[in-house]
Amino acid sequence: MRVYRVFMHRLRSIFRKSRADADLQHEIEIHLEQLVKEAVASGLNESEARMMARRRFGPLEKTKEECRDTRRVNVIDSFRRDVRYALRMIWIKRSFSVPALLTLALGIGANIAIFSVVDAVLIRSLPYTEPEKLVGVSNSAVFSGQVVNDWPLTLDMYAVYEEQARSFADFGVWTAGAAAVTGAGDPEEVATVTMTHGVLPALGVQPYLGRWFSGADEVPGAQKAVILSNKYWQRRFGGNPRLLGQLVRIDFVPYQVVGVMPRSFEFLNVDPDVFLAQSIAKGAPGSRDADNFGVARLKPGVSVDQANQDIARVLSIWAGGSTPWRQAFEELRVKPNVHPLKQDVVGDVGAVLKILMGALVIVLLLVCANVANLVQVRAQARREEFAIRTALGAGRGQIARQLIVESLALATLGGAAGLGLAFAALRVLVTHAPAALPRVREISLDSTSILFALACSLLSGMLFGFIALLKSGLSDRLRHARGATPSAEQLHAQNALVVAQVALALVLLVGAGLLVRSFIALSAVKPGFTHPDQIQTIRLFIPEAQIPEPERVAQMQADILHELAAIPGVTAAGFATALPLELEHHNGNPVSVEGKTPVDRMPPNRTIKSISPGLFAALGTRLIAGRDFAWSDLVSPPRVAIISENMARENWGDPQDALGKRIRIGTDGPWSVIVGVAENVCDDGVDRPAPALVYFPRVRRSVSFALRSSRARTEGLLKEITRKIHIVDSSLPLANVRTLSDLYRLTMERRSFALVLLGIAAGMAVTLSIIGVYGVLAYAVAQRRKEISIRVAVGAEPRTIKALFLRQGLILTCLGGAIGLVSARVVSHWMSSLLFGVTPTDPLTFGLSGAVILAAALAATYVPSRRAASLNPIEALHSD
Amino acid sequence: MPKPSDLLQGTLDLLILKTIATGPLHGWAVAKRIQVLSGDVLAVGQGSLYPALHRLEQQGWLRAEWKDSDLGRPAKVYSLTRAGKKQLDRELDSWNRLSSAVQLLIETA
Repeated sequence: MRVYRVFMHRLRSIFRKSRADADLQHEIEIHLEQLVKEAVASGLNESEARMMARRRFGPLEKTKEECRDTRRVNVIDSFRRDVRYALRMIWIKRSFSVPALLTLALGIGANIAIFSVVDAVLIRSLPYTEPEKLVGVSNSAVFSGQVVNDWPLTLDMYAVYEEQARSFADFGVWTAGAAAVTGAGDPEEVATVTMTHGVLPALGVQPYLGRWFSGADEVPGAQKAVILSNKYWQRRFGGNPRLLGQLVRIDFVPYQVVGVMPRSFEFLNVDPDVFLAQSIAKGAPGSRDADNFGVARLKPGVSVDQANQDIARVLSIWAGGSTPWRQAFEELRVKPNVHPLKQDVVGDVGAVLKILMGALVIVLLLVCANVANLVQVRAQARREEFAIRTALGAGRGQIARQLIVESLALATLGGAAGLGLAFAALRVLVTHAPAALPRVREISLDSTSILFALACSLLSGMLFGFIALLKSGLSDRLRHARGATPSAEQLHAQNALVVAQVALALVLLVGAGLLVRSFIALSAVKPGFTHPDQIQTIRLFIPEAQIPEPERVAQMQADILHELAAIPGVTAAGFATALPLELEHHNGNPVSVEGKTPVDRMPPNRTIKSISPGLFAALGTRLIAGRDFAWSDLVSPPRVAIISENMARENWGDPQDALGKRIRIGTDGPWSVIVGVAENVCDDGVDRPAPALVYFPRVRRSVSFALRSSRARTEGLLKEITRKIHIVDSSLPLANVRTLSDLYRLTMERRSFALVLLGIAAGMAVTLSIIGVYGVLAYAVAQRRKEISIRVAVGAEPRTIKALFLRQGLILTCLGGAIGLVSARVVSHWMSSLLFGVTPTDPLTFGLSGAVILAAALAATYVPSRRAASLNPIEALHSD
Repeated sequence: MPKPSDLLQGTLDLLILKTIATGPLHGWAVAKRIQVLSGDVLAVGQGSLYPALHRLEQQGWLRAEWKDSDLGRPAKVYSLTRAGKKQLDRELDSWNRLSSAVQLLIETA
């Protein structure tokens, strides 16, 4: 009770200082008045009485000051004094505080920056209402031993789910694509998301203008409906609100604009310009193309597990209808995969970011170790000061508190500087981050990051403050008052810090080294195409509404190809339904091989491409056996095919033997004769094994052209391409105008992002550990000056002295290196998913990293060792 | 050099607490009462009275309120807290021991 009253009273006197002062003034005035009255009563006149009273009261201001002083014995007041003192110490001892602050700012800044990325991408919830109830719906299946967890749904699956599922409050499916917008202005290719009416209600996002899709929009033959993204609405239509209800021609079909989405709306990690209503025929079997992703909002109280059980039931209803499908399903072990929606958005960058987070924790530890070292050295130097202050009556608690306050002040200042650095770093990061990094636009310094910064600062402050406390000699103060040479125990602590630093830096170095090796291995991969920077690509789509007959489509594509091939500087040209690395146009179809595939079994999936003659030449893909397609193959039988080398070897052992054999799609299509075998192409990405590919000379409405030219990407070439295409048809939009190397880089981006950041972390770690090793040895030399001087004076050779310190550095580094190698071996397994062509225990990387650390540490040792050896004994002895 | 207040340093708190124990008083009354009750022997200087009052208040032994008073205007009136009563007992106890020890010493020496 008393404690409480005292506390409240003091709190009042701090926060209501002026009030307390006024009270005091008042109280003393009353007293003076009484004294005056007394004096008047004894017969003095007014002014004499007043003077008399003042004299009797004594020094007024001194009394007031003493009264005020009673208030100051106070926790918060003395805390303020401690902070002021700490800041002054930081300012005065700049030789100590500048390196400490720099180290802290770098370490904490890097941590905040990476934390902000991780927070935005991984931790923060999705920007929809009640995001924890949102799930993604797909299937998992096993294709040739590989588990695929995001096998999409077919539209007729959707119809059954929609009708039968009991665990979803809202459910819909969507698929991303591209379409041409024509009409006013230049024809333009836009990114689309075609969705059923349940998707937007499930996300719970209201349109900015207009309405959501309804079931009526999905009826085939009804007026087609489109919702625009805010960005596209602004860009193409100048944000005109009267656009609502108007018609826009998309792929030459009129769509009615029924809504505009809010500016802040993001559709998962897709960035579409327009949302189109899916059309679904009720009752009739829909498309069997599995290319729709499900989004659902769970009913209250339903868990993801329960939803999975529910959907498993629905899936068996769906498959129950037809036996071949049921059989295929069992073969592929198809199971529903209802998962938190965040997984769809975050994708596989989670692993990268977790590794980076780990790396930065290591950097922060290194920072703490380094600052702790500095603080410790300084605490050592201040032992005398502390001892004297204790002897003069300062409480031990007081000194301890002050040390902690100093450390915290240092850490807070460092953290504040780090926050500034992080702010700058994030601006750079957001503009340079790979497009593949999801939610990149959400990255910012928000209150969570600032709280994290505060936590980082305070934690590291406490950590090294505590170390300083241990080393301040408060526990046995008098012994240290004489400024004795450092104790063995203290040297051990410093040596342990060096060992830990070298070990931590080595772990990071190995991590970065393994990534570098992966990069070298990736660059050495022969991807099945050459000089991707010289391959210009353009995607063209010829809609059915414009040219209904397939023959005319083929003729048109052939005309365009001939026009393009005639452009000066273009050495080869061709087109395909999908160029290598164009993952968005990939497919998989069962392909039977005559005489090899068992008749009663589902044949394995192959990637199928429809290509033009000349494509292989344009890409630089070698033909290993047989011939390329000819234009006549497109129109006249016999049906022909080209297969990839790995598929030929899988079935016949030798590519030559594949020629003349027959294959077909599915189990009942027409046979095609193999006329050629092409080099393997890393179609799914340079870091993935080359898939088995089957090429057919078929007509498809949507194709990518590839032109080989040294003028690729130049404006002149692009202008010429546009002109030539518009000679054939002026209304055709061009899309995906890029070079193959853009795609090539895209597939490397995830790794290069990780490499750059991990490289920075490793670089910082090595620098910090060099500073650490140097600091400790330089300090050791300074401490042992007297001893060295005596040794030199009695005849020790400089060489011996140098060797003494070099040996010390070498032993510490080797110890740290050994511990680091062992830890790296344990840790490197976590990054297996990022590695390519190198094992997590790659001896070369481990050896080189060890050598780098050793060399760096030895260089850091050499300077102080040499200084020790060149010490002038007379000078050194005189200086003490 | 001992200051005049040093003489009372140990006993001032005791005197104040004892005086206020009889009932709430303002500063002027405390000074007057000590003077009167001691038969004008002890005069507490204002220079030490007010710092002492404030210190005792800070320590939680006195509680202060602004109240209407016999001085014709509101004054800061001090009263004893429960902790203050205990403190008074302690101070009295140690004073008694000290004074009887001094007494003993003077009589036997």
